Amino acid sequence: MSNNSSAELHGIIAEYHTVEEILAAAETVREAGYTRWDCHTPMPVHGLDRAMGVRETRLPWVVLIAGLTGGGLGVLMQWWMNAIDYNYRISGKPDWSLPANIPVAFETTVLFAAFAAFFAMWIANGLPRWFNPLSRNARFARATDDRFFVAIQASDPMFDQDATAAMLSSSGAHAVETVEEPDETSRPPAVFRGAVWSLVSLAMLPLFLVAMARYNTSDKPRVHLVPDMDFAKRIKAQAVSDLFADGRGTRPPVAGTFALEDMEAVGADPAYYTGKLGDSFVTDFPLEVTPELMQRGQERFGIYCAVCHGDDGRGKGMVAQRAAVLSPATWVAPTDLHTQPVVDLASGQLFDSISNGVRNMPGYSSQISYQDRWAIVLYTRALQRSQAASAQDIPEGVNLR
Amino acid sequence: MNPVNVNREPVLAPDLAARVSRVGLVLAVLGLGAGFALGAAEGDNLRHFFWAYLVGFAFFFTFTLGGLFFVLVQHVTGAKWSVSVRRMGEFAMNTVPALGIMAIPLLYPLLTNAGREEFGGLLWPWVQPHGEHADLVAMKEPFLNVPFFIGRMVFYLLVWWLMARFFMKRSLQQDTDRDPAYAPTIAMRKLSAPGIIVFALTLSFASFDWLMSTAPEWFSTIFGVYIFAGCVLTIHAWLVISSVFLQKQGYMKKEVNAEHYHDLGKFMTAFTVFWAYIAFSQFMLIWYANLPEETGFFHSRTTEAWKTMSYLLIVTNFFVPFFGFLSRHVKRKPKMLAMWAVYVLIVHWLDLYWLVMPSMSPESNPFGLIEVATTIGAFGLFLWAFARQGVRHSVLAYGDPKLGDCLAHENY
Ligand code: HEC
Repeated sequence: MSNNSSAELHGIIAEYHTVEEILAAAETVREAGYTRWDCHTPMPVHGLDRAMGVRETRLPWVVLIAGLTGGGLGVLMQWWMNAIDYNYRISGKPDWSLPANIPVAFETTVLFAAFAAFFAMWIANGLPRWFNPLSRNARFARATDDRFFVAIQASDPMFDQDATAAMLSSSGAHAVETVEEPDETSRPPAVFRGAVWSLVSLAMLPLFLVAMARYNTSDKPRVHLVPDMDFAKRIKAQAVSDLFADGRGTRPPVAGTFALEDMEAVGADPAYYTGKLGDSFVTDFPLEVTPELMQRGQERFGIYCAVCHGDDGRGKGMVAQRAAVLSPATWVAPTDLHTQPVVDLASGQLFDSISNGVRNMPGYSSQISYQDRWAIVLYTRALQRSQAASAQDIPEGVNLR
Repeated sequence: MNPVNVNREPVLAPDLAARVSRVGLVLAVLGLGAGFALGAAEGDNLRHFFWAYLVGFAFFFTFTLGGLFFVLVQHVTGAKWSVSVRRMGEFAMNTVPALGIMAIPLLYPLLTNAGREEFGGLLWPWVQPHGEHADLVAMKEPFLNVPFFIGRMVFYLLVWWLMARFFMKRSLQQDTDRDPAYAPTIAMRKLSAPGIIVFALTLSFASFDWLMSTAPEWFSTIFGVYIFAGCVLTIHAWLVISSVFLQKQGYMKKEVNAEHYHDLGKFMTAFTVFWAYIAFSQFMLIWYANLPEETGFFHSRTTEAWKTMSYLLIVTNFFVPFFGFLSRHVKRKPKMLAMWAVYVLIVHWLDLYWLVMPSMSPESNPFGLIEVATTIGAFGLFLWAFARQGVRHSVLAYGDPKLGDCLAHENY
């Protein structure tokens, strides 16, 4: 036993050779009433926790609560994004629909639970710690190899150098040694600290660059990280292309083109299929007006038109709002459907605009069936009417507030 | 952690096994008999009876296939923890012949003309395509036709029977031969890997055939995995129940301890989550894509008569068992775990019922005595085939070289 009284005492370690010995020793120490001590073994030893009287871990509760919190926050986040901040109808699903949230909520559950387990383990184990005084002891090195140790800290209220050492010797220890607090400070060496600080500062750099780029303008071309994706060889719809003599990227169909299957039908009922009779647009509605058709029109309008024209048709749809911000110079705003010229359009012309597009608006004949196009015309008419209603339109007996 | 002195003695319980198998036989005869009588009384050409019978058949089949998977996976991983309960898994997988007997009545709805005009068949509605989607179903005729279907049925049962025999025989050889070169052990290990592939394919296709084709216009490639999740849940629950029962009768007191229950419980927890994961994956893709040919299945199950049950299943089959199994203490208390295992079997049956019955009766939930009776009958038949093996064989695989490790097994 070395007994260097000049340095401060960290504690006493005792060495054992077998699992049975360390289990017996752990029981002795526990029964003696020590509280600030630990066992160090080269492999997990079953029953050691029990012998030491270690309380059952509360980690599972931490993980459970963190997991539930993560799941809850995951749903909350998506609710706020989808239903409040940027509510945007996607493929006819409600703005906020739980099934779509489950994968993300599942991930946030796992994420929170895993992080909670990881960091709670740090806290429970007193990490991060630069080093442990025990690791300075030569004998103790075999704790990772083939020896078992009990270490009692000098800070334990029961600690008494001689009595504790005697107790350990009598517990069957093969060797008992004191361990001093090291003289040096336990701060990491300057090189290490320097390295950490430089890494941290370097890690901030991208953030600064991003922040700078956000608040500055530059006349240099932007950096393209994936050039062949940014400059893919493709022709954008509605854009200029020098590939064709007329410079149009979007190719108009050859004059007089019809889908084969439609040919007969179109001949038989041109008003229905083209919105035209001869050269003039039809003004009557070619279908029977039913509540179902109106509802269908409302639904289709919501899916195909509202993104640009807005639910109310005033031209303030989500795409229009975004495009107005992103490319204010080139974006042509969708027409307000309540302006007089649009209200005065013949039904057939509305149908034609949906089918073939009009100026900057693309045609929808490939996505929307004939009947649905008429349903949208019908609904557009109702929408226009609703926005131009007067007091006379209110049925009798309905109270105005 | 002390090396356990392995006392390589068989654990024989022939009287108990004989008694249990008699109970099984009585349940089988009474259950299936009562189901048949109730079905005949309904005067629908036994249509309701056969659908209920299919649910019972599926229930039986998940025990057998669960057992097969359990045995295969222990060998492929070289698992040590499970040796002391593996024999019960082997008994479960070795019930293929009884499953084959139970499959025979299923030929009737395939071959009879009753119900063809009206429903497309007494049981599987593709026997003669009918109704709104007849043309779609008719296109599947190259796969869904009676002779090929029966051929596949025979094929699956034959393959499972051969696999079960192979592993049962080698396992018994371990007990008696004590081959110092461990030939049977190594043979099982070698065959288990390809065996798992064969298992996966046959289970998947059998699920498509027997269960998914009750809604022949619908399809879901993950369906077999869904049934697989049920099989794994079932066999672990069943091992817990049989171990607790044996111990209560005074057998295997030392051979199965809290550590083994803990592991069985962990698998039930894991596969409760797995079931939910697969069930939701299947649902979400269909819900999101919203394609008419895929949504029919869920549409009939989430509207009107079946809506309540569908939502209830999320709670009974996921939330309740998940939180029930979460605690370590539950998994280490055999009796409590056995109660949860019974619960798992019941809700697993509900799941099968929910998979099959709405296809027979989309407008109303026909739940009644007839389903209960046929399922008790099917379970009785399984129990009979399962327990009968205990009359001749040790209920412990006492010759397995890893038995010592198994008995010394501890969870950290
Ligand atoms: C991609 C965005 C977008 C979508 C989607 C869209 N529109 Fe347009 N719409 C526009 C733009 C832009 C204009 C104005 C075009 C111009 O003046 O160059 C326009 C103009 C119109 C006009 C005025 C035509 C005229 O003769 O002045 C009508 C009517 C119209 N849209 C109806 C519809 C209907 C009905 C739908 C749904 C089928 C629809 N739009 C979908 C962008 C869109």
